[in-house]
Amino acid sequence: MREYELVAGLETHVELSTKTKIFCGCTTAFGSEPNTHCCPICIGLPGTMPKLNRQAVRYAIMAGLATNCEINPIAKMDRKNYVYPDLPKAYQISQYDRPLCSNGYIQLQNGRKIRILRIHIEEDAGKLVHERGDTYVDYNRGGVPLIEIVTEPDIRSIDEAIEYVEKLQLIMRYIGVSDVKMQEGSLRCDVNISVRPKGAEQLGIRAEIKNMNSFAFMQKAMQYEFERQTDLLESGEQVVQETRRYNTDTGETEPMRGKEDAHDYRYFREPDLVTIETAPQEVEQIKAALPELPDAKFARYTEAYGLSETDANILIKYRRVAEFFDAAAKLVQTPKTVSNLIITQIFRRLSTEEQKEAFEIVVTPQTLAELIALRESGKINNNLLKSTLEQMLDTGKPVAALIDEKDLGGVDEATLREICRQVVAENPAAVQDYRGGKEAAFKALIGGVMKATRGKANALQATEILKSLL
Amino acid sequence: MVTREEILDIALLAKLSVDEEKLDELTKQMMDIIAFADTINAYEGQTGEFDNINGLSNVFREDTVVASYPREQILKNVDGGENGFFPVKKKM
Ligand SMILES: [Zn+2]
Repeated sequence: MREYELVAGLETHVELSTKTKIFCGCTTAFGSEPNTHCCPICIGLPGTMPKLNRQAVRYAIMAGLATNCEINPIAKMDRKNYVYPDLPKAYQISQYDRPLCSNGYIQLQNGRKIRILRIHIEEDAGKLVHERGDTYVDYNRGGVPLIEIVTEPDIRSIDEAIEYVEKLQLIMRYIGVSDVKMQEGSLRCDVNISVRPKGAEQLGIRAEIKNMNSFAFMQKAMQYEFERQTDLLESGEQVVQETRRYNTDTGETEPMRGKEDAHDYRYFREPDLVTIETAPQEVEQIKAALPELPDAKFARYTEAYGLSETDANILIKYRRVAEFFDAAAKLVQTPKTVSNLIITQIFRRLSTEEQKEAFEIVVTPQTLAELIALRESGKINNNLLKSTLEQMLDTGKPVAALIDEKDLGGVDEATLREICRQVVAENPAAVQDYRGGKEAAFKALIGGVMKATRGKANALQATEILKSLL
Repeated sequence: MVTREEILDIALLAKLSVDEEKLDELTKQMMDIIAFADTINAYEGQTGEFDNINGLSNVFREDTVVASYPREQILKNVDGGENGFFPVKKKM
């Protein structure tokens, strides 16, 4: 059997976090009673006029700039015609040949650039609800602003596809234009996928899999589709260009019927909306207001702060974590300590992705930096650093309330000598082992001293005393 | 070519009642409308260049929430809709 290569391009719909819909003032709030966020404009009554939401345009431009796109000086809206009950006007207002953004890319960890052909704005459709064989429509979601981000067929593996979507999610979260939650439908992916013999230049015939709403499904659907198309080619058959859907029950992709069969959308200019002109100065202003993006943060963390790539990736994955890290790292001499404490000690308390995303902790970057400064000046040791941080995370108390003068002074020599004597007396087995030549047994004894002094003892001093006793 | 039957079908879909004696007149009017669309289709003056016909651009609204309509009003002309949804007819 020949070896085959997967080729994929993605169309990703991202719901923008504007307060109102794209063409009317109805709220975009999620999860209300059906058809309560509607007006004559968004249910498509004849004679109503759409009015474009300025913020939707701004968000789309931000998304374009954050993905290295050019912002087109003139864009316009078009009607995409198709008949389906979730679309009350029987057309969707979208953008056809003059999108807002073109020619961008997202770079993957392996260095490959996934080119972005275009980003355009459009309105979302309503939601169909099926109940006891009947179908109903809720138009609350109808008219919510979307951007559609279309890539070139540059993706060469399932892993690359997933990394692309994750990175896109991360960028959108950083710039705050969407909450990009796959499970709530604020990020939805269509995958165009084809296969070709490895090394071939020409692209194979592609199938489109619609509406991937989780990474797990995306992974399974792409794997299934890759194998299906490979089998077809191997047995001398042709792949049919069509739209398919992933059936979660069977684990297979199957051809879709209905609206997706009609590929002639008869696009034409939306006569009720004027052109969108974006001046270069405006683009510059929006660009200047963008926050630092994940790639730039990664470079800074690994180069300026000397963090490992693994640690840098963990920190940038959550915007709030990165912000917390940045705030604390500025105030200390060893940013690496901040990173270590976040990744080991603080993350232990935040088990789910959502908790890490929210990063709700009672310690502030300032108090953490204060604590780390005590360690850096040698006033406390690592154990006391860790146990105090635990207490701070539990109680939210400031450093001063948890570490008193006595702690900072450490343990005086007489007390330490007494404690060492006790530890030696209480651990005859370890003493025996150590005297028998087992160096490792010494660690148990030091550990005993540290425990007895709540980590306040000076380790060097304790070592000296212990050795003199043995 | 538009037939009288097609006009009756359209009237049914639009829930309009049409008098028998008006049918010929309506059929002719519908044919005129479609013929006008053909006139536009025949015009091939458009080149690739983008033409901003009315010269206007950047008419926006601010992202400020305005109260939506009460649901009773949204569903007022809907046949069905007691459960708060727009029902979809199974077949046209
Ligand atoms: Zn509305």
